[in-house]
Amino acid sequence: MNSYYIINLLIYAAVDAMACLGLNQQFGVAGVTNFGFIIFQAAGGYTAAILALPDQSANAGFQTYIGGLNLPFPLPWIGAAVVGGVIALPFTFLVGRRLRGDFAAVGLLVTAVLFNLLVTNYRPLLNGAAGLSLIPQPLQGEYNPQSSGYQWTLTAVAVVLCALVYLFVRRITESPYGRSLRAMRDNDIVADSLGKNLLSLRAAMLVTGGAIAGLSGGILVSYITTWSPAAWGYAETVVLFAAVIIGGAGNHLGAILGAILVPVGFEEVTRYIPTSNNLPPNLIPSLEWVAIGLLIVIFLWVRPQGILPERKRVIRAGAAANPPSAAAPPISPVPEPPVPEPAVPVSALRPAGEPPGDREVVLEAVGVSREFGGVQAVDDISFKVRRGTLTGLIGPNGAGKSTLLAMLAGTLSVSGGKIYYQGQDVTHLPAYRRARLGLVRTFQLASEFKRLTVMENLLTAVPDNRGDSFRGALAGRRYWRGDESAAIARAEALLERFGLDGYANSYAGDLSGGQRRLVEIMRALMAEPRVLLLDEPMAGVHPNLARRIGNQLAALCAEGLTVLMVEHELAIMDEFCDPVVAMAEGAVLAEGTMAELRSRSEVVEAYLVG
Amino acid sequence: MTIFLASVGFGLVTASVLAVAAVGFTLQFGVTDVLNLAYGAVMIAGAYLAYVLNQAGLNIWVGLVIAVAACSAGSVLLNSGIYTPFQRRGASPITMVIVSLGMTLIIEFGTQAIAGGTSVSYTMAQGPSVRAGGLVLTTVQLIVIGLSVLVMLGTHVLLRYTRLGKAMRATAANKTLARNCGIRAYRVITLTWAITGALCGLAGVIFAMDAGSFDATSTDLFLILILAATFLGGPGQAYGAMLGAVVIGLATEISAAYITPSYKYVVAFVALLLMLGIRPTGLLGARA
Repeated sequence: MNSYYIINLLIYAAVDAMACLGLNQQFGVAGVTNFGFIIFQAAGGYTAAILALPDQSANAGFQTYIGGLNLPFPLPWIGAAVVGGVIALPFTFLVGRRLRGDFAAVGLLVTAVLFNLLVTNYRPLLNGAAGLSLIPQPLQGEYNPQSSGYQWTLTAVAVVLCALVYLFVRRITESPYGRSLRAMRDNDIVADSLGKNLLSLRAAMLVTGGAIAGLSGGILVSYITTWSPAAWGYAETVVLFAAVIIGGAGNHLGAILGAILVPVGFEEVTRYIPTSNNLPPNLIPSLEWVAIGLLIVIFLWVRPQGILPERKRVIRAGAAANPPSAAAPPISPVPEPPVPEPAVPVSALRPAGEPPGDREVVLEAVGVSREFGGVQAVDDISFKVRRGTLTGLIGPNGAGKSTLLAMLAGTLSVSGGKIYYQGQDVTHLPAYRRARLGLVRTFQLASEFKRLTVMENLLTAVPDNRGDSFRGALAGRRYWRGDESAAIARAEALLERFGLDGYANSYAGDLSGGQRRLVEIMRALMAEPRVLLLDEPMAGVHPNLARRIGNQLAALCAEGLTVLMVEHELAIMDEFCDPVVAMAEGAVLAEGTMAELRSRSEVVEAYLVG
Repeated sequence: MTIFLASVGFGLVTASVLAVAAVGFTLQFGVTDVLNLAYGAVMIAGAYLAYVLNQAGLNIWVGLVIAVAACSAGSVLLNSGIYTPFQRRGASPITMVIVSLGMTLIIEFGTQAIAGGTSVSYTMAQGPSVRAGGLVLTTVQLIVIGLSVLVMLGTHVLLRYTRLGKAMRATAANKTLARNCGIRAYRVITLTWAITGALCGLAGVIFAMDAGSFDATSTDLFLILILAATFLGGPGQAYGAMLGAVVIGLATEISAAYITPSYKYVVAFVALLLMLGIRPTGLLGARA
């Protein structure tokens, strides 16, 4: 085993590990499936090459290319990372819009196939199919690239850069920003409804991963001194995906392990297959690809979490031991009534002397409609929600309640009409912007972030955490620790209030249905809403617990929160909601207290009876 | 003018091959919910099977029939052995696409392992050329166009007038509802794989005839055309795919006549990205 062999192994391992870290940041952490990942490594390779190469005339027609700037080290590597990141930006239009993740992935895959075809066929740009060669190595004028000292130094630099990339992605992933990325991965629509800007998160991940891939390509060409389309076929992306899936998507150490096992391992293992003249040409490389395919399918079936699964982020109780005193829970402690408890009369919770009908309107729908393929789900609805009320929304199945709620929150766009929130026209404001203004919704179907703990689910919703931005994440733990401790303290208070403090570090996906509803309500409360839109929060919840939730909500309303709640359980409506809006067939039938609604024959006919 | 007419001729043949492939692909996705990227690999496996039979002395048209049957059976197996188990486990759409990409490698390079890396061609008579108003087409090309038209008519009859076709459309629209209405969804899905697998095999063999020579990786690029035609018409829309195939087939070949032929895929690629970015439900589909 000579030193050349070890150097070769180490450099390839560093380059592949770097690429896998970039891909894992996109796919494993943020759920952005970039089937065109190899494009960015290719771009980095070409950039480093044409920045380092002398003008093409120096090659006497041997190869043609643009650039040829003859720039000194380390500019080619920096250029590689920058170009890798910049060319990722245009792809934001594929992953950022509400395009299905699998469609976006297909678009990126096709892009990789086509770019390879174009570079192969168009020689003037990057010397076509033959590719670039004789690429200068870093500082080759000053040192002898053939010497073992030079080679070892280059190896050491590559390994150190790989380690830095690891620290970089870990810093992002283990921050509140990284938590938002993981929340987006688990359920993007819910993350959107909690104020996460999916477009900006995904664009940041494309650019970050692109820059890392670009750097890895730059380092690779500096070592092998050639770069051609054959080195970056679309299938190379699949190899990296195989590595990340096998190593453990979402775990950066897993990505490094995968890089060593799959791309490096395959290269090494095939080295030891005896070559025989009896074998048809291409047989071994073909079988290698078959093996990669088999590995992906088998691993996704047998161990989808990979060898090193994403680890659980445990936040110990009292981690927020010294929260800043200003960070007292915004929800002032309400004496916890025993369970089962007597109903708290609605009137007792209301600020004295102010009937709900006279209060300020915080949310208003004016002539709102929504059509689905010719079916009018919501038809010209107008109604008002007043501050501090717990407004109920009832109606038979298919009345359009959830559709209306989704339009109010911005999850669905309106076909017609206007929505005003605190006097502002928010009709065309995206869901995440409305959430940031304090208009927060929950979902009818369980919508917890499955692979986040209960505590993390709650923390995700906190607005204005200093660590919940790319820059804040890079600034490091010390920069956002204060905000985080305050948020943890709030979450702990809330967990205690809803009796889930024992589950703070359980995965939300492992809880029972009723507990998940609680997590969702608590998470919405963590978002510091002014108006809370609840879609059947008590469905599937034990009646005692449902009444407890009702009491908590009533108490919060007494403190100034406004709640609009869709619910089928009329006992809950009777007890807590005033006013109640009755809907049927996409229109508002009536509005008033439950008692008033019961006296209206059209409401009784539409809903209460049958 | 002659260049233009000649390219229209090529375009008609490409559109015919593409229509068969795209209708199969789009029905597969629409009814079964699997965005099966291995479709191109199955095509080429069928084309290669026909080649092996052809080399063994069989007439290529007999080889075609056997390849169609084999791809049909293979697709049913692919579904029941791989895709359905993953779907039953609740795999996300993105996991399904990764699985299908894994299957692409297995089938495509499995074929290459057997076939070797070199290009092969069928041994077949091209037949006398036929001239019609400036268009010059060989008999084989005419047969390809004819087969495609027959398949389109067959698809129309299937979807419009048969119980199976109606069940397929119902399953595509809402699987749970279809099942609750008494449609045996699993049976419909299996039959869909059989039918679309047959279309895939047919597309593979006529693709190979049209291309002249092919190797195991030839459909990597053709898959771009299939996807472009599918998304132009709206994923899951059989009639949309037909329209998309005609548009993409003609556009690529006519552009190839005036720009360098190796860039003809660019037109399809741009169309695909525009559709994905702006109107992923297709030209005929509903607004997103």
